[in-house]
Amino acid sequence: MSEELSSTVAQNGLIAAALAAEICPELALAPLAPAEIYRYLGYLLKGSPAPPMAERIAQVVAEAQLCLRPRGAYAVYPVSRRTAHSLKLGDTTISGNIGEYLKDADRVAVFAVTAGEEISLLSESAAKNGDAFSALVMDAVGSWAAEAAADALMLSVRRHLRDEEELTLRYSPGYCGMEISQQRKLFPLMQAEAVGVRLIPSMLMHPLKSISGLVGLAPKEAVSSYHSPCDLCPRTGCSMRR
Amino acid sequence: MEKPIQDLSALRHAVIEGDVPASVTAARTALEEGVQPIDVISQGISPAMAEVGKLFEEGEYFVPELLMAARATKEIFVILRPLLAQAGSKPMAHVVLGTVQGDLHDIGKNLVAAMLEGGGFEVTDLGVDVPPETFIAAVKKRPVQIVGLSALLTTTMPAMKTTIEAFRAAGIREQIKIMVGGAPVTSKYAETIGADGYSETAAASVDLARRLVAAC
Ligand code: B1M
Repeated sequence: MSEELSSTVAQNGLIAAALAAEICPELALAPLAPAEIYRYLGYLLKGSPAPPMAERIAQVVAEAQLCLRPRGAYAVYPVSRRTAHSLKLGDTTISGNIGEYLKDADRVAVFAVTAGEEISLLSESAAKNGDAFSALVMDAVGSWAAEAAADALMLSVRRHLRDEEELTLRYSPGYCGMEISQQRKLFPLMQAEAVGVRLIPSMLMHPLKSISGLVGLAPKEAVSSYHSPCDLCPRTGCSMRR
Repeated sequence: MEKPIQDLSALRHAVIEGDVPASVTAARTALEEGVQPIDVISQGISPAMAEVGKLFEEGEYFVPELLMAARATKEIFVILRPLLAQAGSKPMAHVVLGTVQGDLHDIGKNLVAAMLEGGGFEVTDLGVDVPPETFIAAVKKRPVQIVGLSALLTTTMPAMKTTIEAFRAAGIREQIKIMVGGAPVTSKYAETIGADGYSETAAASVDLARRLVAAC
């Protein structure tokens, strides 16, 4: 547990209930495969663009990657109570279908990650200069990086797994039958501000390229039967559907 | 001397390929050779963009290709605009665009701006997290035909309604047409909050804007 966290633990009853917590100021992202960016750009049916376009995209991607500052924070809690539509961590009851989705987990990690503000500033300035194409590609790199940061943070959360346990899928407020208003309950449970992620009144996070959520620590055999979270989403035409 | 129409094929080709420098050169050459600005639009830009739209619908082109083509036509319009004004043509419609208060999403709105500019509209982009007062100030500052509102979350969608109400309270709602869009927005919602139009995609927002201007 980091020093910074220990001080908050003393002040904050909710965090005191955490089994473990960590602040990761520098997450190492997996290498970026061009196909990932093509997916964010919507090359759904075709898979990849024609060579001249692929070249244009690669140039912008290379520039954008220099602006990523991936970091994150998490805290692991025992589940103190659950129903099909709620989950109690410490003294906080989070409502939504996660009670059902995380039914096999006896511990749950709450987390927040970000790709940093820099990538959004870069995209914004390209747009201001009338270069919507570069802005779009930079934005896609930021979206990829936020997801990749969440993947990277999960490697740290994994260290808290016991034998024969596995992480469940990740669930985020605003998705999966959990209202985005649940962000307000999630944020006091972790040290998101320590990595520069803050909640604004509309329940969005700043920086834009950030993700918050919950992930369960559950017996392996229960986890292997989980489906894609997209099965729960009605946006069937979405290019990000998995 | 009027230039025969087929000579604009180089321009059409450059636009379809999203080759910005070649598009600008082709437009300059055509104008120097005596093609009328209005013909550059009707025989060059319009059929080229129609082809780009068709390739998009057929799944041959994607958003990046659309944006490159829109960028090419935008640059041609920069050359054409003063010539059209000289010739006494009506100025292109002016659209004020922004992501509503409380929302930080940028890219969808940027795509709409780029496509509208490629469609010949003049666009003022107010950015993200735009309060109603800023939209109103922009409309009071200069003639505006359309105000476009973007929102990406169910929690920020209500700010579209607040913004429309603020226009009403300021007594200028009837001066403008309001179009809305963004992932959670539907045409039903647009109707409920009293917007004049909704478009699902940036590409479709150009047609919508044209229809709204025609109804002005
Ligand atoms: C004026 O006239 C017009 C006309 C047309 C207009 C218009 C105006 N404005 C837009 N349009 C239209 O034209 C554009 C081009 O055709 C389109 O614009 P869009 O902006 O819609 O499209 C963009 C060009 C590309 N689309 C996008 O960039 C958004 C795509 C989806 C998949 C998405 C992504 C990629 C991301 N996300 Co998130 N994300 C989703 C999205 C689901 C979806 N399929 O839309 C959405 C928006 N996200 C959601 C959520 C919940 C969240 N996301 C989050 C995070 C992320 C990523 C970082 C992983 C990533 C990037 C975020 C970003 N946008 O920068 C979180 C919030 C981030 C924050 N800062 O607070 C988080 C809150 C999750 C969490 N707890 O961490 C959902 C919102 C649900 C709600 N209740 O409102 C969501 C709809 C997904 C879902 N299936 O439920 C049209 O809408």
